[in-house]
Amino acid sequence: MDARDPRVTRRGFLTGAVAATVILEPARRTAAQPKAAITYWNGLTGADGKVMDELIDRFTAETGIRIEQQRLPWADLYAKLQVSVPAGEGPDLALIHTVEVPHFANDGVLEPIDDATVGGKGFRAEEYLPATWQGGVFQGKRYSLPLDVPQHLLYMNVKVLREAKLVGPDSRLKIPASRDELVTMAKQVAKGDTFGFAIGTVNPGKYTWGFHNLLWQNGANIFAPDLKRPAVMDPAALEVAEFWGALANQHKIAPPANANCRDAFTAGKLGYWIAGSWNFTGLREAKVEFAVAPVPRLFKHAVVWSMPHQYSFPKPKTADRAKREAAWTHIRWMTDHVAEWTLRAGQVSASRKAHGDPRIVGDPVLKTLLGQAGSWQVGQSTPKWVAAENVTRPVIDSVYTGQRPARAAMEDLAKQITALPD
Amino acid sequence: MRQTRTAYLFLAPGLALFVVFRVYPLLEGLRLSFTNARLGRAAVRYVGIANYTRLLEDTRFHVSLANTAFYTVASTLPVLVIPLVLALALNRGALRTVLRSVFFFPFTLSVVTVGLTWLWLLDPVVGPFNYYLRTAGLPARSWLADPATAMWAIIATTVWWVTGYYLVIYLAGLQDIPRELYEAAALDGASGWRSFRSITLPLLRPVLLFVVVTHIIGSFQLFGQVFVLTGGGPGDATRTVVQHLYEAAFQNFFQFGAASAMAWALFAVILLFSIFQFRLLRGHTEY
Repeated sequence: MDARDPRVTRRGFLTGAVAATVILEPARRTAAQPKAAITYWNGLTGADGKVMDELIDRFTAETGIRIEQQRLPWADLYAKLQVSVPAGEGPDLALIHTVEVPHFANDGVLEPIDDATVGGKGFRAEEYLPATWQGGVFQGKRYSLPLDVPQHLLYMNVKVLREAKLVGPDSRLKIPASRDELVTMAKQVAKGDTFGFAIGTVNPGKYTWGFHNLLWQNGANIFAPDLKRPAVMDPAALEVAEFWGALANQHKIAPPANANCRDAFTAGKLGYWIAGSWNFTGLREAKVEFAVAPVPRLFKHAVVWSMPHQYSFPKPKTADRAKREAAWTHIRWMTDHVAEWTLRAGQVSASRKAHGDPRIVGDPVLKTLLGQAGSWQVGQSTPKWVAAENVTRPVIDSVYTGQRPARAAMEDLAKQITALPD
Repeated sequence: MRQTRTAYLFLAPGLALFVVFRVYPLLEGLRLSFTNARLGRAAVRYVGIANYTRLLEDTRFHVSLANTAFYTVASTLPVLVIPLVLALALNRGALRTVLRSVFFFPFTLSVVTVGLTWLWLLDPVVGPFNYYLRTAGLPARSWLADPATAMWAIIATTVWWVTGYYLVIYLAGLQDIPRELYEAAALDGASGWRSFRSITLPLLRPVLLFVVVTHIIGSFQLFGQVFVLTGGGPGDATRTVVQHLYEAAFQNFFQFGAASAMAWALFAVILLFSIFQFRLLRGHTEY
């Protein structure tokens, strides 16, 4: 029988501890090593933000990649990107609107993405609608990949239009097919504090996206095709500006320049409403009885304003392959699950893959949005687009409120656009 | 000597912060105002006084300056008089503590909260103001979308917001006036109006000067209310200098050089006004 003390000696304990550490450490390190965490900035501040949160939670559960989201109103997001990225404090991934791509690319805020990488990650042009795919390209280089397509839509308030007897023999709501028809029908609705027609969610007077939609319908634009001079003095643009100024003043069909059209529509004080597709989920939640139709052709062409959201990589201070890979994984995952995004956030996907999903084509609003795809148009690909939009806002507001005649206002706008710095 | 050194030692952290966060940005802003600096532009070059001369041609800057001046002039009288009248009423009386709190409450709100509240109150379609007007059979108005009323709506919002603050300042001034003066005046048979004119007003002059100077400086820096309520609209009817500056700096191409020039031009205007006011009221403030 061994007479030695069975208790562990100090030396024995230390030897054992060191040995255990040496043997177990690599395994521990492997098990505990966290997957990459990435920062992701977006402007999804509405109901779509909650949907994004849920999808990101699922993404993290499935992939182990953690995403730190920062959600800001779009304007603040863009200002923050512009100052953060040069300071090396930008996010790993940012969701931006298509029209922001040219100026961010021009200012070196975004990192170009080469075609080989895009193809290698399984993204192909033929899987996307052309306008959305092309929106990620500036001066021949790709800077972003499209996610979805916010766009305009005609909302019709069932109660208001029925009361105005704007119902066809088939008991369906009457849809205006021209500018004159729209004005006539809207006049039938407008009385007291109820308005016949509005374009824009809030502040319709300065709703540049609506103004752009009408310009594009009339074959006009903010810049000439060479993107070097303003085109807002062209006769087609002036015609649109005249109509813009007549909406509230002459025809008396539209709400005041600073009205909240969404609230007015929800409160049953607005009949026909051209507004963004992002409004429809909220209207459903508010249990507003409404129907939708494609944006009516009010001028020469049936063009629908659209503004795809694009995934982009802000330029990092130092390259981090793991983070970039994680960001790619997220883009891939969202693209593969885009049908759920479409169904729950109400934004139709840029990728065609989900367009045949029976749940999507079975939804009357999503079906209408998809039906407009052939008419989508986006802003011109120039770094001056956003700045031009900023100077357009007060000018069209002054036309809408009748402060200035259309021609004088457009002359002033042309001067301001010309004076924009390079 | 040693005492002085100790005093400076205690002051040093505060002074250091002041220099780093106040003086340096001011001077850097001045330097930027002579450059074509823009965020995202790698090469910055000196352009002399070009940013300042451009202001002479910038019609929107002129409109902004005119709007700011109008707001300053039009809002000064109500800001001077309404809190004073309330202060005189609340200087005595059983409910004065409660009422002071009630009047001061709006000032505890942030400008965004105030703006959003009034935005809803004045909403042309679903706002309570227009609702009650319609109920009373009066025509509704688009207060913030009508160039004739938009600036007045902003003034009304501001007066509602700041009245409580100036009320407290006036009350402090009123309580500093020796009661014996009123008693003596009463013994001499002076009426209430006469006492106000000959005792209250002259002895409140330093407070009035403070209210006027701070309000005018604040007025030239008007931004928050306009940003939330009208965004400068309708058209440019309520556009102010600071909004113009903000847009140049943070919306349109981040033109830090041009925006800095606007900031220094605004500083010059405020400085001139302040000197003018001090000259005007100095010498009448002692008693």
